[in-house]
Amino acid sequence: MSNTIFKRLGLLFLVLVLSVVMAACSEDETTTTNADTDTDSGSASTDTDSSGLSGEITVWAHPYTDGSTGEGDMWKTFASDFEAETGVKVNFEQIPWANRDQKILTALAAGQGPDVFYVIPDQMPQYAEQQLILDISQYVTDEELSGFVPTAIEATSWKGKQYGMPILQTAESLIYNKDILTELGVDENSLPTTWDEFKALAEKAKAAGYYAFSYAGGGSLNNTLYPFLWQAGGNVIDEDNNILINKPEAVKSFELINEMYTKGWIPQDSVTALDHDSLYLGGKLLAINGSGISVNRLLDEKPFEFVIAPPLKDAEQLTYGTVGMFVGSAISKNPEAAAEFMKYVTNTENQRTFNNITQYIPTRDEAKDIFDSQQYMAQLAGYTEFAKPGVIHPEGRNIMPLVQAEIQAMLEGKQSPQEAADKAAEAIDKLINK
Amino acid sequence: MTSTTSKQSFSARIKRELNKNLLVYVVLIPVIIHFLIFQIYPFALSFYLTFHDWKIIGDPEFVGLKHWKNLFDDEIAWKAIWNTVKFSIYYIVPTMALGLILAVIINSGVKYSGFFKGLFFLPVVTSFVIIAGIWGWLFRGTEDGFINYLIGFVGIDPQLFLSSSSQALLVLAGLSIFKVAGTTMIYYYAGLQSIDRQLYEAARIDGASPWKIFWKVTFPMLKPIHFYVAITTTIGSFQIFDSAFLLTNGGPNYSTTTIVYYLYHQGFTSLNLSYAAVLSYVLFFIILIIALIQRKYIGKDPNYY
Repeated sequence: MSNTIFKRLGLLFLVLVLSVVMAACSEDETTTTNADTDTDSGSASTDTDSSGLSGEITVWAHPYTDGSTGEGDMWKTFASDFEAETGVKVNFEQIPWANRDQKILTALAAGQGPDVFYVIPDQMPQYAEQQLILDISQYVTDEELSGFVPTAIEATSWKGKQYGMPILQTAESLIYNKDILTELGVDENSLPTTWDEFKALAEKAKAAGYYAFSYAGGGSLNNTLYPFLWQAGGNVIDEDNNILINKPEAVKSFELINEMYTKGWIPQDSVTALDHDSLYLGGKLLAINGSGISVNRLLDEKPFEFVIAPPLKDAEQLTYGTVGMFVGSAISKNPEAAAEFMKYVTNTENQRTFNNITQYIPTRDEAKDIFDSQQYMAQLAGYTEFAKPGVIHPEGRNIMPLVQAEIQAMLEGKQSPQEAADKAAEAIDKLINK
Repeated sequence: MTSTTSKQSFSARIKRELNKNLLVYVVLIPVIIHFLIFQIYPFALSFYLTFHDWKIIGDPEFVGLKHWKNLFDDEIAWKAIWNTVKFSIYYIVPTMALGLILAVIINSGVKYSGFFKGLFFLPVVTSFVIIAGIWGWLFRGTEDGFINYLIGFVGIDPQLFLSSSSQALLVLAGLSIFKVAGTTMIYYYAGLQSIDRQLYEAARIDGASPWKIFWKVTFPMLKPIHFYVAITTTIGSFQIFDSAFLLTNGGPNYSTTTIVYYLYHQGFTSLNLSYAAVLSYVLFFIILIIALIQRKYIGKDPNYY
């Protein structure tokens, strides 16, 4: 009786031991392979190049086009050319846009993940404060940074340190439906340049049965409130944590949005809408604040003729435009190679290739010649000097939902613009002093 | 002496048990290991997290009850909990009722019942993102939104739906009901099939009307199904996240910010993982308490024979 028990227990033990041994073996194999590769590429690099770099790096980027084949080939060429030049092997991985924060953070928390990855200026100061990304100031000289557009450099540094290398830029501007302009009898060469002129045109559009403007109140404030707030001369918060969102100039932008909603210049669902594409493409909306993506969509789908006008001006002429950058992981085992790759991929020639395929605006003036034959993109590329990349603050992304909720309550008629701004300021204060 | 006896009997019991079921344990071990690694370990770790300031890279710093105390000052968290409770009220009973009605229809021997079964089940197998997109389109708050267009015929003014803080949560609940009712239908259908035909015959002989038969025979006999469906839809309703994430971003003015949406936001946008862990424990306790209450009141086996 007891013999059987021991036999069975023995079997169980054997199974357990075997599985542990097998797991250990497979781990050994991986380590050995890695070590082999390291030595291989290491020795190769000393033989072939003088950069003093070796090893390998992992790069995470996202699909910047709707699955164009050119994009995949571009990364292959970047990787192989970089390896040929420096001896550093590049493992490129394309990560979907959805939940990219989550993916990167979980990987970093596990002590793994990419050496180089892509962020936008909303994320950069937050990641820098959390010490997740590499300060590359020591690897980049001022001369190397001199060819970039100043707004791009501003958007990639935080508290005097350089964290990212900018690869792309966008600039939003007003894109008008030409058919509606013609119907309203407005000359495309005398489009509004100030808030007052825009309001007058909006009233006209409304009277003719159109919406004047889109307002995706459920989406990012970078595309809704902030451009108006900056144009009015206001700001949300500064580097010294002074809250500016309820100052008189900022409140003007709250008032403008409230006026647009109550007068029906923007659609009724603007409170939480995530986009107004169908209204715009359906020819029911006069103008949107759009970037290169919107322009290319209009060129592809050709729903109507359009015209691009410069960003509006109240106290200042400003708009939103993001800057896409590559940053290094703070736990990268090969920070030098990571920084080198970031410099390499953002050099003039590679920016030409990248932005030609993805139709974003290069962050180097020299590379902007790719749009010489593209009227609309060239026009947008000219507006990057007005483009602010959002609220550059470690709490920038956390501030957004707080402000958004107060604007929504304002649009629902539950509070005045001044009250909304005050409550937003209060909520930001609470967040920062938590 | 007594302790030795009990010890002996204990080891004897173990021996007997192993002798009988050893193979079962061998088969169970991988499952248990999986459960320990992927359920128990994260569960315990997140509890540990609630007492620390968790840095994504580097060692966590002990902060005691700071995050638990924050919960009590956090109006948005309480609003999120209340929204979730409201969502459950809008969602649980209608989902069960609709599932039951659909099951009764396909069980009634109606013509083309196979076709209807497939039709009712279609939302379940369709991707939630697609369904949510269609729902958002139907309930667009502008005058030319589809539902607004339809209700215009009966003289109702255009509604704001997702842009109104009093309607948005209801519209999201409607979406979840539409998506999940097919699943509850299948459970109820299985339940209906297993009810003993003799009970119906006996009721009919006694002269009971179909309405009475439904309430006196069918409905009580489905009690185990009611319990199971109630538990799963309750858990589902407290975990509601994707519809708010896809359609409203928690707005307007936090009226569709549910607890899971809020904890996702705290964890992955604000990088406040410790506080997100506190919120997940709050969610855990709420679900636990409700499941216990449900078990007490509707969890018993039917005893009607």
